[in-house]
Amino acid sequence: MVSRFAPAPRLSRRALLAAPLGLTACPSPTRPVADEVPLWFTYGGKNREVLESLVGRYNESHGRVRVRAVFQGDYFEGLAKLRIALAARAAPALSHVVGEVIPYLTEAGVLEPLDGYPSLRGLDIVPELGQSGTWTGGAERPPVALPFNRSTPIAYLNGALFSRAGLSAPTTWDELRATAQRLTETKASRVVRYGFGCPIDWWFWVALVAQAGGELVESGGRVSLGGDAGVRALELWQTMTRRDRSMKPPPGRDYNAWEQTNQDFLAGRVAMIWTSTAFLKYLEENAAFPVVAAPLPGQVRKAVPTGGTHWILLKDAPARAKRAAAEFLAFMYAERQAIEWATRTGYIPVTTSAIRALEQRGHYDQHPNDRVTIDQLEVAMPWPWSPRLFRIQREIVQPLLERAVLGNESARSVLERARALAAREG
Amino acid sequence: MRPRHRLDPYWMLAPTFGVLVLFFYYPLGRAFLHSLYEWDLLTPPRYVGLENYRVLFTSGALLAVFSTTLAVSVTAVLGSMALGLGLALAVNRPGAFAGFVRTSVFSAYVVSWVSVALLWLWMLDADAGVVSALLRAAGFGRARVLADPSTAPYALAFVIVWKIAGYSMVLFLAGLQSLPPSVLEAAALDGAGKLARFRHVVWPLLAPTTAFVGTTSLILTFQAFDVVRIMTQGGPVRSTTVFVYSIYEQMFMWLRVGRASAEVVVFFAVLLALTALQLWAYRRREAV
Amino acid sequence: MSRAKSALGPLPLTALLGLAAFLWLFPYAWMVLTSFKTLPEIVAAPTAPLPASVSTEAYRAVWRSMPLGRYFWNTTVMALAIAALQLVLALPAGYALAKLRFRGRTTAFVLLIATLLVPAQVRFVPVFTLLADLGLTNTLAALVLPFGVSALGTFLVRQALLTLPDSILEAARMDGAGELRIVYGLLPPLLVPTLVALFLFSFVYHWNDYFWPLVMTTDDAVRTLPLGIALLREQGTGVRWHIVMAGNVLLSVPALVLFVVAQKHLLRAVAASTS
Repeated sequence: MVSRFAPAPRLSRRALLAAPLGLTACPSPTRPVADEVPLWFTYGGKNREVLESLVGRYNESHGRVRVRAVFQGDYFEGLAKLRIALAARAAPALSHVVGEVIPYLTEAGVLEPLDGYPSLRGLDIVPELGQSGTWTGGAERPPVALPFNRSTPIAYLNGALFSRAGLSAPTTWDELRATAQRLTETKASRVVRYGFGCPIDWWFWVALVAQAGGELVESGGRVSLGGDAGVRALELWQTMTRRDRSMKPPPGRDYNAWEQTNQDFLAGRVAMIWTSTAFLKYLEENAAFPVVAAPLPGQVRKAVPTGGTHWILLKDAPARAKRAAAEFLAFMYAERQAIEWATRTGYIPVTTSAIRALEQRGHYDQHPNDRVTIDQLEVAMPWPWSPRLFRIQREIVQPLLERAVLGNESARSVLERARALAAREG
Repeated sequence: MRPRHRLDPYWMLAPTFGVLVLFFYYPLGRAFLHSLYEWDLLTPPRYVGLENYRVLFTSGALLAVFSTTLAVSVTAVLGSMALGLGLALAVNRPGAFAGFVRTSVFSAYVVSWVSVALLWLWMLDADAGVVSALLRAAGFGRARVLADPSTAPYALAFVIVWKIAGYSMVLFLAGLQSLPPSVLEAAALDGAGKLARFRHVVWPLLAPTTAFVGTTSLILTFQAFDVVRIMTQGGPVRSTTVFVYSIYEQMFMWLRVGRASAEVVVFFAVLLALTALQLWAYRRREAV
Repeated sequence: MSRAKSALGPLPLTALLGLAAFLWLFPYAWMVLTSFKTLPEIVAAPTAPLPASVSTEAYRAVWRSMPLGRYFWNTTVMALAIAALQLVLALPAGYALAKLRFRGRTTAFVLLIATLLVPAQVRFVPVFTLLADLGLTNTLAALVLPFGVSALGTFLVRQALLTLPDSILEAARMDGAGELRIVYGLLPPLLVPTLVALFLFSFVYHWNDYFWPLVMTTDDAVRTLPLGIALLREQGTGVRWHIVMAGNVLLSVPALVLFVVAQKHLLRAVAASTS
């Protein structure tokens, strides 16, 4: 039971007074619904359209249950609202959150364990994408998260530029630097095209750390942020932006930086970018050149983290809403929806049967880029089950990464500072 | 006048003070209390005494936020006051054109901060924005005003000035129009030129208006949350994280109620100090 | 201005004024022009002055992506409620502070004005937890009640009443009018300019409010228009400027229309606060 700061029960007298005012803003449903499932989502653009169409399909075919999907902004804003709502006992029944925050929410006791719902048993989730593969020790814990829009970082190459220059996708860091330099074009000492672009984001840094052979969190629980590997990862970016000048750092924070990277790629201002597999369809559809997906290079080894979000049920919601939410989730995992979600948005299909069905249909022959994303799953690495990691990521590492690349400080001192702050964290 | 019944004034003020106590003084007290704890709203709070304040003051976070806020606010206030005064002097004449200009400039004050922020976000967009294109054409190279930590705070200040210059203008206009015409005529008859007239007659007489515009503009800019949230989200690299945005970020994004409350207390103290300063300056001038 | 001058004045001044008007009007014009473009046009030539042809695609996209009517309604109802409540409370409070002698009057006045120093960002956290405890988050009450008092408004009512001769009030009393009748019956007609200005000012201010609804609501049913339009910006796949600008046009137009209609009163409200 979550205890409150002011341990006051609901002040019913005041509530009575305020009730008339509250009623004036109550949404008046057009028809009485037996079970309403509030779903808070944070997809924008195309992905939002797809989700809403699937929700609409579900609502139409199930008269008894109605899923009410409410858009809440981007991942981080939505997460903030979710946590606030949890504190206000006004949380929805169903939402989806990034994997990094799930250990924290679990320890806080706000997530509903999913093993009590028969409709959610026996789903053939792709192991690397499910709880068992996403966190070290994920299989031993009670299931609280189901993967939905899962992704990994991936490289997108401007097919026209690459074939014109006779280059292929880099497979090592050295090749990455060389390729980026080859593709950077300057005119009158101004760069008109960068060879490489990547949002300065924790996610890609983690990929680099793993590729350099490092671990974020040691087995004892100490947050080492990759040690030397972490430094080398950051130095790669610094070298490429400051020295090679072949990498374009995009502006903005959080998802503005990601959008900017996409736009730069589409406009031909950057020849090769790293971003999420989630943008595959978007880029393919909007580019004026062939888009080639390629796996990320490696250094000591190849490795990519997984990303995207997982469905969660909130414990505080009424039991009926939770049960209805579970049924909706089972619908989303049915083969037809799983395939549709994956193919229309570009997220990796989350069930093995969906992948098999797509293989049989020849989907991957027609869409070789999709195949690349599936194949890269072999080198997907789990996250440590660390409740504090989320805070460390957002509050300490992410701002420092930006500063390290955009500023003048050395990678080593930046990461030392981050480690010191992280140690103080808890 | 004496009240009809002895308790009349109290029930007349009761609803007002009910709201004030509940939504101003009680929250202020709670903020003080919260600042002594570490709390994420989901798990039980933990008493930490003055730790939040210690971290605030020693980690440099407070200094950074404070200097960013000052940079943005002072630039915006000075800019909007200068512009407001200039515009007021220029439109202080009869005629439809002057009235038209006055309306145009003031219209920015009436629309929401969200409107203004979205508008300038588009205009200042590094790649697709009109202003950036103009800057590039004028030879300013990259013109990524919002993406560069050294220019972002001033870009913000510019947007703030654009929105509130109309407010300054209207106030200065009222001030100018309340100047006794006899004094101005006397100065003109004395042979004083336009500029001298302004420096020695108009400007001193405008002093109360200027002070008022200055303080209210400063308070306005201190509360400029919407622009930051929409245009830069406190970045790049925290270069536009002003006080109110930092409070929001601590509370909403990072759920550190204790830390956010400590910042709230400090912020409130700063506002109090500013007001006290203004009152003191006002008193001093009155005494002279 | 005693000397009769040509209304436009010398040429440099006219040019300056023209520049000012341009500086403040061009951004709006640009916003409108952008809203009538299509995505390919924006991507290909973002600074092209005119759209190839007037396309309403952006507006339709905005309409599809959010319950515009609902947001508009919520915002208007909320702003009306706040402005009305503020007036209802300002009248008796201003009257008491201006006209009645009682113990604690100065203290009450100071306490009232002091709240001008407490911005929304300072009080929102505890107010949020308070409203959460009462179960009032995501309701109109959460958006309206915390703004039920306008310290500035009460102050201005008081200022206006200070200039009212006591004799009027005493006469009313002798006619048998109770204090309530005086406050809500006698005073309003005498204070019309002040009240109208306050109402308009407060209405516009709260109609445009972004921060408070942002932190107090998560439900679409009570979301306000500024929030909804701001969310347009946070798309996941490419910032579609024409859509954002279309939304922005929809957001700005009501305030601008109100401004044009009630210009005099708004200007007076701002100028009147110089005290």
